[in-house]
Amino acid sequence: MKAYEKLKHSIRYWLLRKLPTCQQTVEKISESMDRELTLRERINLKLHIWICAWCQWYLEHLEIIRETARAKGAESPDLESVRPTLSAEARERIRRKLAGQA
Amino acid sequence: MSQAQLTPDMSSPNPGRWLDEHGDYLFKYASFRLRDDNAAEDAVQETFLAALKAYEKFEGRGSERTWLVGILKHKIIDHFRKIEREAPIGEGFDEGPEHAEFFERADEWAGHWNADRAPSEWHATPAELIERSDFWKVFSDCLSPLPQRTASAFTLREVDGLKSEEICEILSISVNNLWVMLHRARLHLRNCLEINWFKQPEQ
Repeated sequence: MKAYEKLKHSIRYWLLRKLPTCQQTVEKISESMDRELTLRERINLKLHIWICAWCQWYLEHLEIIRETARAKGAESPDLESVRPTLSAEARERIRRKLAGQA
Repeated sequence: MSQAQLTPDMSSPNPGRWLDEHGDYLFKYASFRLRDDNAAEDAVQETFLAALKAYEKFEGRGSERTWLVGILKHKIIDHFRKIEREAPIGEGFDEGPEHAEFFERADEWAGHWNADRAPSEWHATPAELIERSDFWKVFSDCLSPLPQRTASAFTLREVDGLKSEEICEILSISVNNLWVMLHRARLHLRNCLEINWFKQPEQ
């Protein structure tokens, strides 16, 4: 088992040296959310994420941000609004403007 | 009480009632996307004015609020376009912070995450986050230091889910510009949310 762990460790470090860096990888992670990556880019990304927990979290976080922001953006239009609300001044200004048009 | 008093008169528009019933909702919708109260107020006003002109097309079909939100979406995009026209892309166009310091290391692993700036595990689901109004305050504060164009691109993509080509057309940018801007926005926002929300002891 010890030999296996040692082998895994060496493979990991060998791969990290061969693959694009974290800085280059996070750029590809972002692009993967906006376009189809090439086969080579996809393989490099998968391998990098396989051996790098930081970049794996980075991808997860971008997905959480997207899912949360889109859910917020799609909140039902019938949902009662809480805050923020129109200020009294803005409300009055709009009311006057509308009264002039109606 | 006569029938006329019981049912609202749908044959003619009633902008005063629109303002009372939908004004705050529309303002909330616009200010989440524009992050500028004055611009959001203008967008709401423009929406009601356009709704008055287009009232015959609505004719009381479907939900009034959905109809108004549909108009507001266009007004918000018009606002993003207007910013573009007023400040066209020139030399030295700022796409946002590069945050190269996240990958600075003194050892042989330069270009990989600096352990002090690297991501850590987040313990939250989108369903929980969406309910927390204090999270959205942090979210909005984290977007504010970004250049306006970068923040707009991020909102159109991640909040409204527009396609890359549509965003490029609205903001008059190339698709390569867009990818750089989105990458910088995500790099910055992820880090800012981690520091100001996920790593806070009360979360």
